Amino acid sequence: MKKNIVIVMLLVSFGAISQSKASKKELKKNRPTYIDIAIGKEYSRFVDFATSPLIYSGAQNYISISYNKYDKKKEKEYGFSYSFGDYISDFNEHESISTVKTLSLYYSQLYQLNKFSTKKLNIKIGGLFDATGNFRINESLENNGVGLEIIPTLFGSIKASKYFISRHGKDKELSFRLNIGLINSTFRNGYVYSGQSFLLNKPILESVFDDYQFKVFSGFRMSSALSYTMPLKNKNKIQFSYLWGAYKTGGNFDTFEMANHSIKFTLSFNLNNH
Amino acid sequence: MKIFKITLLAIIFLLTSCEEVIWDKGIETSNPKDNLDYLWKECNEKYSYFELKNIDWDAIKAEYSAKVYDGMTEDSLFTVLGEMLTELKDDHTNLISNFNISRFGTHHLGQDNFDWRIIVDNYLPRDFYISGPFSHSFIANNEIGYVRFPSFTGEIDKKNIDFILEKYKNTKGLIIDLRENGGGQVTDIFKLLSRFVEHETLLYYSRIKNGPSHNDFSEASPAYVEPYDGIRYKNKVAVLIDRGTYSAGSFTALATKALSNVVLIGDTTGGGLGLPNGGQLPNGWTYRFSITQALTLDKSPEYENGVPPDIRVAFDWNNLKTDEIIERALLELQ
Repeated sequence: MKKNIVIVMLLVSFGAISQSKASKKELKKNRPTYIDIAIGKEYSRFVDFATSPLIYSGAQNYISISYNKYDKKKEKEYGFSYSFGDYISDFNEHESISTVKTLSLYYSQLYQLNKFSTKKLNIKIGGLFDATGNFRINESLENNGVGLEIIPTLFGSIKASKYFISRHGKDKELSFRLNIGLINSTFRNGYVYSGQSFLLNKPILESVFDDYQFKVFSGFRMSSALSYTMPLKNKNKIQFSYLWGAYKTGGNFDTFEMANHSIKFTLSFNLNNH
Repeated sequence: MKIFKITLLAIIFLLTSCEEVIWDKGIETSNPKDNLDYLWKECNEKYSYFELKNIDWDAIKAEYSAKVYDGMTEDSLFTVLGEMLTELKDDHTNLISNFNISRFGTHHLGQDNFDWRIIVDNYLPRDFYISGPFSHSFIANNEIGYVRFPSFTGEIDKKNIDFILEKYKNTKGLIIDLRENGGGQVTDIFKLLSRFVEHETLLYYSRIKNGPSHNDFSEASPAYVEPYDGIRYKNKVAVLIDRGTYSAGSFTALATKALSNVVLIGDTTGGGLGLPNGGQLPNGWTYRFSITQALTLDKSPEYENGVPPDIRVAFDWNNLKTDEIIERALLELQ
């Protein structure tokens, strides 16, 4: 566990110290800043062994909004994504539908690795914190029909970007980013999934997370993003991305597992004309 | 762009492979033995009343495993699994498919003690009131209020219960008829009982399974009700129960044991004091069974087998003009 923390700190600090302090202020001032607005489609599947051994899958709609400040030396991004849709299990002529809404809040910082970066290829490393919450409703599961879990993860990240010169002399960018969960945690139902608060006349808010347990250093999570970014004449950008993510909870209780494949289109609006 | 496409395909392939490594495989199967084993194990680790009901679940597995075989029909498998669950003698335990639902039927444990037509024909005026889930009227020369509450639909609200209690506030007593009330929304229990207490009252305890052994439970947690800040009924109340009074109905009966102004009349309830869960088998059928225990004020789970009345009265089906349980309640309240 401690080893994971050390790796994250090393990744972040190693990148950070590679920049000279003198140039930092200037770079920061001139670093392009964007608001990214993205829409997309997602194909996902999950299995929640606490209530069913069957795999639920389906297509969802995806949106995200983020604040993004980046150049070749450093990038910082924070924002949220939201996806929603129905997941279906159809086996043995029995169909069940789980309606899922997923909200992710994230913050990321990456620093250039000078040693491995060239004019055409840029390598960055750093970290990403992502807290993902799923709200699921599946009426066929009776009193276990509502599922709610939060998966906060601190990732170690590496991003490789390849630049191509466009006709307008602007850099097009093909990048691949890989995030590996170093501190995986889950906030999830207890042993029998349901809680008993409403039998005890407890307030509704107390019932929502009844018998929930928070586990740190538990489970596994990975994600990645393959993106193709094209600058526009007005300093805005458009981007096409393929995102992939997968996780499974850990601990002694029945696991929850989910995997997503998303195609995303992003409009990046430049805020500081750099 | 060619490089981009090749890279994209390679990465999708790589990550999909990663996904298979990370994930446990789902276990979709119609195999009869796999489904019996799965259902048996879920119950074995999470069902809450093995000890109270003295059920030898291992012996039951041996008995029912011998009844499943490859190639048996869905209907036959359903019968075997449904009968296995029925051994738990619990109407919060069901197997559910798109062609059948298994059940135990606690109301068959005692005689039928309720006929709404007899009450309507012999006790209520034609124009009795219907307020939300309650049917009600004055009876016994307007001295008693009779309130029929057939199901905990979650519809009890301030207006309908205020109306009823205001209407019958000057009666000698109130009858709340919970016979054949199969339960529903537990939140209704507290909305109802908060109108019959004058101070915060401990009603019962509940504990939930927290481990795989049959006796792994959380600490017993208390359930309190506070007096409603508004119209309350302070005279005597008779709650009528029978074997069809189940789940939230039984919880209400259990809770009234803590209320000095309430008397339970009729037959023992059907029980159903365990909160049912919900889940799915590898073949897509769903199930539910009890995962909590409600405990009396001396922390006994025994009322799962039925909450006994304070005054036991049975219906006489040779006389279809009289409801003996209502008659006994009138005697008690006047």
